[in-house]
Amino acid sequence: MKWTPFVLKHLRQNWIRTASTAAGIAVCIFLFCTLQTFVASLHGSLNQGAARLITRNSVSRFYSVPNAYEDRIAAVPGVKRVAAANYFGGMRDVNKPDSEFANFAIEAENFLAMYPEYMLTEAEKKAFLGNQRGCIVGRALAQQFNWKTGDALQLTSNIYRTGKPFEFVISAIYQTDQTRYPGTNESTLFLHYKYLDEMTGRKAGVRTYRVEIASPKEAGVISHAIDDLFENSDAQTHTETEAQYRTATGMLGGNLALLLNGIGLAVMFTLLLVTANTMSMAVRERRTEIGVLKTLGFSGQLVLGLILAEGVLLGVSGAAVGLLLGRFLVDVLPVVPVIGDLVRRFPKMNVPPTIAGAGILIGMSLGLLAGLLPSVSAYRAKVTELLRQT
Amino acid sequence: MPELNVEAAQPAIKLEGICKTYQRDGQSIPVLESIGLSIPQGQFIALMGPSGSGKTTLLNLIAGIDRPTSGSVVVNGVDLTALSEGALAKWRSRSVGFIFQFYNLIPVLTAVGNVELPLMLTSLSKKQRRERALFALRTVGIADRAEHYPRQLSGGQEQRVAIARAIVTDPQILVADEPTGDLDAKSADEVLDLLQALNNQFVKTIVMVTHDPRAASRAHSQKHLEKGVLLGA
Repeated sequence: MKWTPFVLKHLRQNWIRTASTAAGIAVCIFLFCTLQTFVASLHGSLNQGAARLITRNSVSRFYSVPNAYEDRIAAVPGVKRVAAANYFGGMRDVNKPDSEFANFAIEAENFLAMYPEYMLTEAEKKAFLGNQRGCIVGRALAQQFNWKTGDALQLTSNIYRTGKPFEFVISAIYQTDQTRYPGTNESTLFLHYKYLDEMTGRKAGVRTYRVEIASPKEAGVISHAIDDLFENSDAQTHTETEAQYRTATGMLGGNLALLLNGIGLAVMFTLLLVTANTMSMAVRERRTEIGVLKTLGFSGQLVLGLILAEGVLLGVSGAAVGLLLGRFLVDVLPVVPVIGDLVRRFPKMNVPPTIAGAGILIGMSLGLLAGLLPSVSAYRAKVTELLRQT
Repeated sequence: MPELNVEAAQPAIKLEGICKTYQRDGQSIPVLESIGLSIPQGQFIALMGPSGSGKTTLLNLIAGIDRPTSGSVVVNGVDLTALSEGALAKWRSRSVGFIFQFYNLIPVLTAVGNVELPLMLTSLSKKQRRERALFALRTVGIADRAEHYPRQLSGGQEQRVAIARAIVTDPQILVADEPTGDLDAKSADEVLDLLQALNNQFVKTIVMVTHDPRAASRAHSQKHLEKGVLLGA
């Protein structure tokens, strides 16, 4: 610890170089924390609903299937319950794209039964089920628009063009338990499918049927059984697990986690090279000083340790800034135009302690690795070589 | 300056059969050849010679920051050639003070911080280190500039701080490589007065490399090097 002031003074010597290097590490760690939080949130989302299937039109998820399919799906052995669920596409103001958020028209009773992650009290559930124009909203969404239970609101759907807005009353704000159901989205509004169907003159159709099954192991068998029912119909179906459906719905598809991790690794490697170069420059400039320290009796190991300490301090301080930036932006991103629309579709993102800890560790490692070569070079260099004036 | 008549059973510095050769691009370049030198305790000796004669190399060997290709260097009974790198570094921290031509103060440290630097290698407390450093600065007459950074000091003042740094661990040997080479005449005289005082009052053995005959005249004796050979040996 007695060397800390010595190390800090050297970092302050060229504060512009130190600050810009730390800023680079901060950006790297920010990217790491944000990407990993996104991946963790995605995994959390994908891992939910092991016992749920989604049936849709086999041509495209943008086409509907008939209402009449519901009873036939419910009759398939192994199916516990079925609920229609259409993406509503509601916006508070059609002229403002940033006013869009995730909203679904659902057959509420069955849907809430098969989605225990959207938690309501019995009274709240009763209030919602008892009002066709009622809706429930997530906590994050309510905070974003300053909504509370009982508020009236209007939404205009950009999918179901009825010529007039849909009117709702907020029946309840649903809660989530991120420990039991990690990644549950807190930014969604749910309205009654029946209200949508009536407002569209019973022409809404069903975009997806959510199918709860008794045993996840039967998912494959039941999926085929459902699709076989409608093989010869005009609207053939495609049934898959909820995880598969969400993966396909994801913006990029494919192995998103691998892509994001690849991006993170590439950024980290680039930052490592830049930081190593910066540290090498700093040590080269201090060749004579290192020679003097060794003349005074500083051992090679001590000199190596002091340079590595500079690297580690640089890495840790950059990582701390990056982490704070990540936590700040995770809260702020949902309200940023365009990006916010994307972010709000995903379950609540919060930088968990494990990712935060990993970020600090990576920052420290970056600093350590960057300082390794110049410190070893200083360790090995002869005093007379170091003292030679250039 | 009268020759100092010092009786000592053991010389402060004894070099025997010293040869130093550098390797450059596959070629061997001899710098010192068969140097033998004995410096009694408390003597102030000036090493003189033209550029490239090997003065600084010889000084570096005495200070323990370089190793001879062959021969032995014994300083106060310690054979430096037998020490490992780590042991040599430790020996340097306790036994020798080095004064550079261009002062070589650490720019991010104040004057007192620079003087404290060798004491950081000891087990002294922060308070004790500071007290000792201030004492050393008072000894060289620059304690009023303790909190100044090197960039705020003149050349002569920086060299005084460098001398304070060299003596703060109370080493028996001081080596100085052209200590007045970068100073004006007045500052140079002040620095030489200081070195003489350290020699007279504290009985430090001083080996000084210099081109300046006036500086050399302050020493008890002068040794001349030419093409790596000690003249008159």
